[in-house]
Amino acid sequence: MRIGQNPAKSIEHVPQPQRITVALVTYIPFLSGYYAQGLDVLKTCLGSLWESTQILYDLLVFDNASCAEVRAELLEAQRQGRIQYLVLSDKNVGKGGAWNFIFQAAPGEVIAYSDSDVLFRPGWLERSLEILAAFPQAGMVTARPMRTPEAFYTSTLEWARQQPDVQVEQGSFLSWETYLEHVLSLGTSEEQARQWYASRQDIRLTRQGVSAHVSAAHFQFTAPKSILAQFVPFEMERPMGQVRSLDEQMNAAGYLRLTTCEPLVKHLGNSLDGGEARVDSAAVRRSHVFDLPLIRKALLRLYDEIFRIYHT
Amino acid sequence: MRTGANPAKAGLPAYKPQRLGIATIVYIPSQEGYFQDSLEILRFTLASLREATSQSYDLLVFDNGSCAEAIAELRSFYEQKQIDWLVLSQHNIGKAGAWNWIFAAMPNELIGYADSDVLFRPGWLEASLQVLEAFPQAGMVSAQPNFYDVMDGQGVAHLKLRGDERYTFGDYWPAREIIDEYCLGIGATDEIASPFYQKPLPAITRQEQGVRAVIGASHMQFIIPRAVARQVVPLPASMGLRRAETMSLDYKIDELGCLHLSTQNPYVFHMGNTLSPRLLKEVDQVIEAGSIRPTAAKYSVARQSGWRRMAVRLVRHPRFNRQFVRLYNFLFQALHSEK
Repeated sequence: MRIGQNPAKSIEHVPQPQRITVALVTYIPFLSGYYAQGLDVLKTCLGSLWESTQILYDLLVFDNASCAEVRAELLEAQRQGRIQYLVLSDKNVGKGGAWNFIFQAAPGEVIAYSDSDVLFRPGWLERSLEILAAFPQAGMVTARPMRTPEAFYTSTLEWARQQPDVQVEQGSFLSWETYLEHVLSLGTSEEQARQWYASRQDIRLTRQGVSAHVSAAHFQFTAPKSILAQFVPFEMERPMGQVRSLDEQMNAAGYLRLTTCEPLVKHLGNSLDGGEARVDSAAVRRSHVFDLPLIRKALLRLYDEIFRIYHT
Repeated sequence: MRTGANPAKAGLPAYKPQRLGIATIVYIPSQEGYFQDSLEILRFTLASLREATSQSYDLLVFDNGSCAEAIAELRSFYEQKQIDWLVLSQHNIGKAGAWNWIFAAMPNELIGYADSDVLFRPGWLEASLQVLEAFPQAGMVSAQPNFYDVMDGQGVAHLKLRGDERYTFGDYWPAREIIDEYCLGIGATDEIASPFYQKPLPAITRQEQGVRAVIGASHMQFIIPRAVARQVVPLPASMGLRRAETMSLDYKIDELGCLHLSTQNPYVFHMGNTLSPRLLKEVDQVIEAGSIRPTAAKYSVARQSGWRRMAVRLVRHPRFNRQFVRLYNFLFQALHSEK
């Protein structure tokens, strides 16, 4: 039976979610073979996120049945207050299943999604939000420019060409180094990359003094939750490979797919090539007089004693 | 860079959720005071759920900023594969805030919710499903007759069925033991309990199936169809545990034209925050031998020292009672505040 009043009823205010939820999906089922460097990649991803993100945000990590070592790392980060919401899934529900969870449950108005093999650079979120604000029809903004098939951005082009206040430019705006960095991370050879680079161009839009490239990718993007929620549920029969439907549906629904002009995130893949030192910023925890062990112990004793006396 | 192909793309199947998903919210900020038995009670909730549920289900536990010991216990359950989804929230985002997660995200067709101090009895699911099947317009079905109408007579969804020949309305007089048990669960004083014995509960019967249900449902435990759950979020969530926020669930469900219903017999029991010999006896019956069992010695009644008896008299004095409550709440806030 209930004795006394639940003290939770005396909590007048609970912390409100930040406007932005940064969400990551992790899946590292073992630390060998393809995933041999998986934990190091994850640490690099999280470290760079904490280091490079100055805007307030809540971090949500959905772990899709990773191995014990990865769970331990995530639980420790959650304990330190560096992950606000940690979801541990005992089964791999697929990337689509994880997206279904995140896109519906994430408490922020804006969701900045990322795979867990991404390196974040300073300014990635600021620039993504700036583009979302300048292009209200934007559905997703990836924080690095890239060249993707036109089939996924026909709506973006169509919209841009109809807007008198949008400047549309076509040309080779992406530097070779920036282009190469991304395609190499996908396992493409440099020779193949050179052929592609020479045969394709970029489209740049400018509105209200803010420029963005036409294109986006589902490995990392920032999007309004209200738009993402329109596309759930995603198919979740397979762990991966069905998420391209987000790109297709977003384009079909007429939303813009854009990227920043600068490479503010980097796809790491499953191995660190030496250029990315693991960033590990110091934990930030609240410091409070009531957290001092002796004071806390004494107060807990008093608290407990009052309860016993009051409800005897 | 990517080296090799991701094995996850090899076409392996992803997990397909069960038809039924059950969620509970845990908030045990310390193991003192009000919460001194909460961890043990949580164990009983999960164990009774496991023992008394006849169908496969996915279990989601939402931890709302509990203490390290409670999280360690949940981790242990998770590692033992007794929890399918464990959500750890750094902060207490309130009961309604946690509901927002649960109702928005659980992929199951039917979403069962229970506070983490509910004891499940065999048959709870069958009885709930029987009501859900007989009343497809049900938005919330509890496995215990509902005695307290949080909407205070404002609910209108069931009124649409008046005049429909398939349904009849009537009174249900629960047996005295059912009322006794309900009052025990909520720790009701005689004054609060008295009206429950004096008036019947409103009931509705689906003629064709011969299924009768009590009109009204409880926030403590219920099943909500996913299709309804998705339409009620987001609920306002700015406080820890206030009826003003949690009852917005009821209003939204009613506005959708969905019924609040409950079973005539109590298939769940509100354990609250203390373990009594009566409860322990029942826990023993529900939870099969060999799983989590209570240790009677731990819960024997301690003898009171003289100073404590004096202190008890003092705090019950109207003059000091309020100050004591304020001090208690202040300490709670100081020890567990998020700021």
